[in-house]
Amino acid sequence: MASAYYEFYRGSSIGMALTDSLDELITSGAITPQLAMKVLQQFDKSLADTMVKQIKAKATLKGHLQTYRLCDDVWTFIVKQASFKMEQNEIISTPRIKIIACKSGDAIEAGKK
Amino acid sequence: MSFALPARQVTFGRPSAYQQQQHGLGGNPYQPTGLALPGPSPLANPYQQQQQLQQQQQQPLPTKAPSPPPVSNAVAGPSTPPAAAVPSTPAPLTLEQQHITAVEGIVPTLQNIVATVNLDCRLDLKTIALHARNAEYNPKRFAAVIMRIRDPKTTALIFASGKMVVTGAKSEDDSRLASRKYARIVQKLGFDAKFSEFKIQNIVGSCDVKFPIRLEGLAYSHGQFSSYEPELFPGLIYRMIKPKVVLLIFVSGKIVLTGAKVREEIYTAFNTIYTVLCEFRKP
Repeated sequence: MASAYYEFYRGSSIGMALTDSLDELITSGAITPQLAMKVLQQFDKSLADTMVKQIKAKATLKGHLQTYRLCDDVWTFIVKQASFKMEQNEIISTPRIKIIACKSGDAIEAGKK
Repeated sequence: MSFALPARQVTFGRPSAYQQQQHGLGGNPYQPTGLALPGPSPLANPYQQQQQLQQQQQQPLPTKAPSPPPVSNAVAGPSTPPAAAVPSTPAPLTLEQQHITAVEGIVPTLQNIVATVNLDCRLDLKTIALHARNAEYNPKRFAAVIMRIRDPKTTALIFASGKMVVTGAKSEDDSRLASRKYARIVQKLGFDAKFSEFKIQNIVGSCDVKFPIRLEGLAYSHGQFSSYEPELFPGLIYRMIKPKVVLLIFVSGKIVLTGAKVREEIYTAFNTIYTVLCEFRKP
């Protein structure tokens, strides 16, 4: 069960902050590395659930799809002249963006069937 | 039949001049257009000579085919280009010069060509999917890599056996060029891919006769060839025997022709069906 969640949120700023804090606690001897691992696994799970259930914000993306790839259930898209339109009509443009998309929650279960 | 990749062989016995002409134009030279086509002079049209040769050798026009009306009447556009627009270029090829028998100036447009190639080498599809661009590989769904290129806009199905299917091309030359490009991509990924057994498996064309058709009447009198079940499919399915082409005929006068291996079969089939369709024109 522990490995059912992606670990990629650990690379986000909140994940990095958590990892740093845990490192500090381990070095100072306040917690064991095993406990730190447990915390990180819970972090993976909580963030995945939160992203699915509690995030209501939406954004639209427009651009020219230059390259796509599907391998091992991971989609890769390279979009040129991409522009994101956020909810407050804020527009963010970039000449090139790479999107890596993995299967989440239900889709993983569906894939197994 | 096996060709090494670098030597760009010209297919279908067509001289390369024709190819250059077609690629240079970026359009279908068979199509009547209103514009003058900047190409070689009509007299030197290699395709025409090729066609004449072919027809003399192997394919006398079937007697069923209606004789084409005078081409100058049939195609108003191409034979009289606006002089001001392109003054120095020679007059474009008329259909007669290209030896395509057009009825009422209608020539089917090729919409899709499906070809197969044997790369003659086992392939690791995962390597291809990981390293090539615009590739999809989902072995749970389909046991081939689906790859696309933009020019010529086509899709290839690449199988682990080394067999490949290339679809979506609009001309024979595009189909072959695209197949070579896919073979090259696979080669560049480190496989010992060859380019062998290239074969066009299907050609699809379509056109519009621009008058409505009584499908029931056609189905009744050509019952041997026709299948018309409007509750299942709104078009009449006409299985022509010679040439062996299947036609989907719609009330609107739009026609889809499929099942041909060479484009001449599409043209012959259309010319053959056109006289029949005129009989069943809706009043």
